[in-house]
Amino acid sequence: MIFRQLKYLLRAAGHNLWNFRGRNLISVLIISFSFLVIGVFLALSNNLTYLGQQLSNNLAISFFLKKDLPAKEVEEIKKTIMDSTLVDNVIYVSQEEALNRFAANFPELKEIVANLDSNPFPPSFEARLKDRSISPGAITAFIDHIKRQPGVIDVQFNQEWMQKMESLSRIVKAVGFFLGAILILASFFIISNVVRLNVFARKNEIEIQRLVGATNTFIRVPFLVEGFVLGLAGSLVSILILFLLIKIFPLYIGQALGAAEQLLALRPLTLEQMFWLIVGGSLTGTLGSVTSVSKFLRV
Amino acid sequence: MIELYHIWKQYQKPHWAISDISLEINTGDFCFITGPSGSGKTTLLRIIFREIFPTEGQILIDGVNVLKIPDNKIYKLRRLMGIVFQDFRLMFHQSVFANVAIPLQIIGLPDKEIRRRVFNSLRQVNLHHKMWEYPNRLSYGEQQRVAIARAIVNHPKILLADEPTGNLDPELAFEIMSIFKEINEQGATVIIGSHDRELIRHFGHKIFFLQKGKIIGQEVKP
Repeated sequence: MIFRQLKYLLRAAGHNLWNFRGRNLISVLIISFSFLVIGVFLALSNNLTYLGQQLSNNLAISFFLKKDLPAKEVEEIKKTIMDSTLVDNVIYVSQEEALNRFAANFPELKEIVANLDSNPFPPSFEARLKDRSISPGAITAFIDHIKRQPGVIDVQFNQEWMQKMESLSRIVKAVGFFLGAILILASFFIISNVVRLNVFARKNEIEIQRLVGATNTFIRVPFLVEGFVLGLAGSLVSILILFLLIKIFPLYIGQALGAAEQLLALRPLTLEQMFWLIVGGSLTGTLGSVTSVSKFLRV
Repeated sequence: MIELYHIWKQYQKPHWAISDISLEINTGDFCFITGPSGSGKTTLLRIIFREIFPTEGQILIDGVNVLKIPDNKIYKLRRLMGIVFQDFRLMFHQSVFANVAIPLQIIGLPDKEIRRRVFNSLRQVNLHHKMWEYPNRLSYGEQQRVAIARAIVNHPKILLADEPTGNLDPELAFEIMSIFKEINEQGATVIIGSHDRELIRHFGHKIFFLQKGKIIGQEVKP
């Protein structure tokens, strides 16, 4: 009997979705717009996170060494640097290589260097850090430790840049959570109101069902199924539009942004983000229905 | 047995739609509640199937206090009843079949049984040929017959009908009453709110006369 009733309820939900297709289509569009806004924000945030990671990967600390340092001491310094848990890898830059790099980077000064009697560039170690989540304090402590090693004469590290990036990343995250929360709340109210309109339009039907002996569950289920389907469809449409936006964005808008293009580019959502967007849409649709139908069950 | 004790109903002060009505309707009765428009017939019927609550008073159906049934259990009472509403209460975006089938779908009968019973009910009200029409394409009288078919489709123990023949020609009204009588003879209690004197004279077994919310007379035919 339960299966028969379930079959009937699902059929009724399908029937209602089709019968009120105009209104339901508008609902889906509103839901998809809400989730599209969230999706666009997520895509932007993904891009910023990606850029941050790229930048931090490029962050290197250069430790300049005394010239003509015995190989054993050079090895010891390298070992000390490598021993730190913060360091991902270390490259030794010899005097010759430093000179070559200079010549390559500043070709117009090439001749001046060539006329010098000796190579003025000291050898150095370039240490790359593991990831950007390392606190600036830990990096400073690490630099001070290496600086105290005999044979190390100077350190070059753009700490200020790193700290700025860290705080930018924190701001982006905070703004992200704030905007995300507001948008999700707004979406919930929009969906809930759209479903309420649907329920209100069928107030009569609910009353009739109550009066001929339907249980509350019997009345609720088709609306829940409809809310779920609308939410699901809305979030799927939003993902589809977002996908198109990501494809189209660089072609039409990207170039107009000039230097900001890289910063404002959209990066595709991860599978996990898409999953949660779909879950969020379906859940919001279903919850919107629950709150809306309950008001009409007191007949 | 349906027992009403000192029922009062006030929609708006200071007027009383129902004033101190007490009555008893036995199982298997075929009774009419009659009176002029505004006498309180519809209100009384709505109170019996608990669409509305009385301001004061108690109602017992088979010994159960109807007013004490919690909202989420009221369906049990309504499933015992077939109700013909004065305003029909049809679902206009669903077919005649779907409208009549709803009380059966609610209790989860097999599709085949539902089709059989809906067809029979529609045939009883002479509307089986319009099973797949939509109610808004039907005449007022036909809509009323759809409402009657829905009320009788689940073989109710109690049939409540509010002006069930108000829009029907005398011949069809007579036929509908015969159907109600048939259901009554099968053991159902039938309560009809009507002011059709001819029908009441012909079919009435127990008649309550209402005026301005009060019972001014009662007649029981042998």
